Amino acid sequence: MRSPFRPDRPPNAAVLDDHKPLIRSLERRGLIRGGLSLGALVMLTGCDVRRPEAVEFALLAISRFNDGVQALLFDPNKLAPTYPASMILRPPKFNAYYDVMDVKPVNGATWRLEVSGLVTDKRAWTLSDLQALPQTSMVIKHICVEGWSYIGGWTGVPLRLFLERVGADLQAKYVAFKTADDYPSSIDMASALHPQTLLALKYGADTLADPFGYPMRLRTAVKLGYKNPKWITAIEVTNKYPGGYWEALGFPWFAGI
Amino acid sequence: MASPRLLFICGMLALAGAAHAQSKTPGGIPPPPGMSLAESAAMRFPQPVRVGDLIGREVLRPVESQDVLGRVRRVVRDANGQIMVVVDFGGFLGFDSRPIAVPVDAMVLVGQDMEIVAFTPKQLRQFPTFSPVGTADVADDAIIKVGLAKPSH
Repeated sequence: MRSPFRPDRPPNAAVLDDHKPLIRSLERRGLIRGGLSLGALVMLTGCDVRRPEAVEFALLAISRFNDGVQALLFDPNKLAPTYPASMILRPPKFNAYYDVMDVKPVNGATWRLEVSGLVTDKRAWTLSDLQALPQTSMVIKHICVEGWSYIGGWTGVPLRLFLERVGADLQAKYVAFKTADDYPSSIDMASALHPQTLLALKYGADTLADPFGYPMRLRTAVKLGYKNPKWITAIEVTNKYPGGYWEALGFPWFAGI
Repeated sequence: MASPRLLFICGMLALAGAAHAQSKTPGGIPPPPGMSLAESAAMRFPQPVRVGDLIGREVLRPVESQDVLGRVRRVVRDANGQIMVVVDFGGFLGFDSRPIAVPVDAMVLVGQDMEIVAFTPKQLRQFPTFSPVGTADVADDAIIKVGLAKPSH
């Protein structure tokens, strides 16, 4: 039977060829690629499918809308699953946007954590300052956007407690991070205040090892792995969208789980 | 025309979170030419791991397809005192594999798996079948250090 949706005049098939590189870039999710047929591309219009940037713009707009829906659905009181300490993977799994040989260890003795933006106390923190704050432990699953996961045990300062100590404006929209490996990142305030969001100083009972973010990294149970910057050197509370390393390359910003 | 368009957008909403692989530089590259296994392992930030936790792990090839080369059967110290990982290598679905001894410095930890980074499958096929004569098992509770790599996909 002829589809009732079939247009009287079929679109030019060359359109699909024009977007080959973009479609190929979705290679790890065959379902999306399968879905991006000529018809689907044309239906994405409103935008002009002859211009690749128009298609990318439309996809990014969907991703931003998605972020908004996730933020609406986020329940600040709902806890992510936790696991017994016996399930902690030791050592944890290493990942970065480069291989381990390019890790540049940070000297904990001279390390300082800068604090800026909408906070009353902009004093820089040392590692021993952070160690002197109340610590919390959690055994949670690290879930990577690539599809792998592992269970890890983390100890550190709840980010909520830290933000309260520095007199942060808890009504602000974003908490942004800068790191020693040039991996900027940021999360929404609701996730920053979640009880399973830590400034982690330890893995298991041991001080964080160099490849995993010594002296301090973010670990949150409510975001995908790439929202957990390591080797953090600065925290900013802001209302201006800070973005992040992968977000600038098209990854979703909210990335909640 | 509104409804298929809406359907498509709903589909994209569900999928827009999926994303391209994160790799910028590949993980688990072989040792640079002329570098010893020990030197190259030292560059991979060796981390303490309990020997008993290695037994049974899958051993992968450090390429995007992450082909399974075998499984860790045991960890031994050879006659020279070098720590070797005995891998049930090759075969198909666990049949017809044979044990080979791979220097621990030729391997890395990738989360719950291990990879052999210093030898190709072709080279591994030339490895002699492992014989326990002259070797000593390393106790399950012993802690050894093994280098790391990022995932190869």
